[in-house]
Amino acid sequence: MSSLNCQRQSLTFRARSYMAFVLSPQPPIIEWLADLDATLERSKGFFAGHPVALDLSATRLSPAAIGQLIESLEARNIRVLGIEGIDPIDAGAKLPPLLRGGRGGQEVEVPEPAAASASAPVKKQDAASLLIDTPVRSGQSVVFVEGDVTVIGSVGSGAEIIAGGSIHIYGTLRGLAMAGASGNSRARIFCHRFEGELLAIGAHYRSADEIDASLRRGPAQAWLDGNTLKISAMN
Amino acid sequence: MNLFNRFRRGSAPVARERLQILLAHERNARSAPDLLDTLREEILEVIGRHVSFEPDKVLIKVDRGKCVSTLAVDIEIPNGLRPEGVAPPLGKLVPDQVCNEGAPVIQQGAA
Amino acid sequence: MSDEKSARVLVVTSGKGGVGKTTSTAALGAALADQGDKVVVIDFDVGLRNLDLVLGAERRVVFDLINVIHGVAKLPQALIRDKRLENLYLLPASQTRDKEALTEDGVAKVIAELRTKFDWIVCDSPAGIERGATLAMRHADAAIIVTNPEVSSVRDSDRIIGLLDSKTEKAERGERVDKHLLINRYHPWRAARGEMLSIDDVLEILSIPLLGIIPESEEVLRASNLGSPVTINAASSAPARAYFDATRRLKGEEIPMQIPSESRGLLNKLFGRKAA
Repeated sequence: MSSLNCQRQSLTFRARSYMAFVLSPQPPIIEWLADLDATLERSKGFFAGHPVALDLSATRLSPAAIGQLIESLEARNIRVLGIEGIDPIDAGAKLPPLLRGGRGGQEVEVPEPAAASASAPVKKQDAASLLIDTPVRSGQSVVFVEGDVTVIGSVGSGAEIIAGGSIHIYGTLRGLAMAGASGNSRARIFCHRFEGELLAIGAHYRSADEIDASLRRGPAQAWLDGNTLKISAMN
Repeated sequence: MNLFNRFRRGSAPVARERLQILLAHERNARSAPDLLDTLREEILEVIGRHVSFEPDKVLIKVDRGKCVSTLAVDIEIPNGLRPEGVAPPLGKLVPDQVCNEGAPVIQQGAA
Repeated sequence: MSDEKSARVLVVTSGKGGVGKTTSTAALGAALADQGDKVVVIDFDVGLRNLDLVLGAERRVVFDLINVIHGVAKLPQALIRDKRLENLYLLPASQTRDKEALTEDGVAKVIAELRTKFDWIVCDSPAGIERGATLAMRHADAAIIVTNPEVSSVRDSDRIIGLLDSKTEKAERGERVDKHLLINRYHPWRAARGEMLSIDDVLEILSIPLLGIIPESEEVLRASNLGSPVTINAASSAPARAYFDATRRLKGEEIPMQIPSESRGLLNKLFGRKAA
């Protein structure tokens, strides 16, 4: 057994779910692109920075045509994260990856431009905070790297909240809370009642059995002090 | 309700009997096609030779018993025409196993 | 089956196995039928069917849900009418096939056809979170989540509640499936001694409205042995009355919740036998 073996680290693979906008082109593509341009006129940069999935199930495009469509979208500042609704044979190394298992499909309102004077530039209301007003159920995963997550309700055992910013739970935390996921060491976790399985800020974490039993069943706060994850009761 | 009084002692014997009948039929079905299914197919085929009917107008009822099972076939034949000699519903005697309780009884009519 | 109806579709689900979905489907279905509504109960546990057994119809199964989906039989040919309650029908599952035989389209068509003929469609979900369970809940207007006051059951119920908000047609349309908690196998004495999760514990964790509390009772086992749902076989017993109350709450009536207690159980034991 050489020391080489000890230096090897094992690779961990994890699965995460993310929310993405879905664009579903309808033939004829030229007209669809014109409609898209009209939407973008009304709301410039609506898709900028957001992951976009392309649902091609209503079309029958050749791999070359798919490539051209992706380029047309890139020219409009829309970056395609993945494609669904095509024959796996048509998926190629040059195209974005094939997506499987998409859930949901709620319509998203594209906001109308504010009918205000053009003098003051309207500051784009970026969603830096995600509000969830229903309980987060076991097995559900909330990922929001852009900012804080606030939950009005409890987070079930086996559920996870992963936020780039802080996590505020107005209820009981029974699952996992991981704040500061994008490296923000000042992120904190707050909950009305702590009964959780794991707390993490950035790369620093503590599982339930490493957390003082006296902290359970009461309001608690977690933060990073240097490289140490600190947890204390509130009030 | 006499039935209630009879099983006051315990419902387990009833359960045991139901399971014995049920599993006997299910094991049978797994090894060999259900006799009742075969009969049903053949009866419908024979009737079909003499008169035409809609497959979905056929109502089939079975009752699988320990010694005797009942098959009832109910067919809506258009215009009230009936093939000679056959009147719905049709009953069939299907002895499953030798009964200690005596000779199997012919059952007729819907289950 | 002449007057057009518009059924309310219920799914009886839990996630965890063995908590009492099938017995509850039978008891609730019979209770609704007893009140005059036209009810069909559907067994979605393909390959391990039990609803026919609990209803005492195991000897009368000719065609099943899979046969109807695959066009081997029409719906009226597969429906089995209860011998005791003429308003109660059963659509059994197949015992020889498995869940792969269920198709989304097929189930949708069956539910659509049943909607016009019944007041209630009650779907008995299998345990788990795969195909059988998700198809059973797909068309539900409301869900009854059967939970035992026990940690695994509660966590599994939470998972299932999450799925009701993502895997159903209603959820996909942006609407909410009405969720109702049915606590089953409640032991008054274990709860009193703190050996069992309390009603409040379960309610606090799951945060959905309580439909009813069904006490653990030998009447339920008897009913199963005899093949007659407890709401038919022992209609005045504590579990049966709890099921009847649950159906009335389902229909919008406000009935104060009876928490089963030890002394009540004793009274039932003394006077229950009188009803014959």
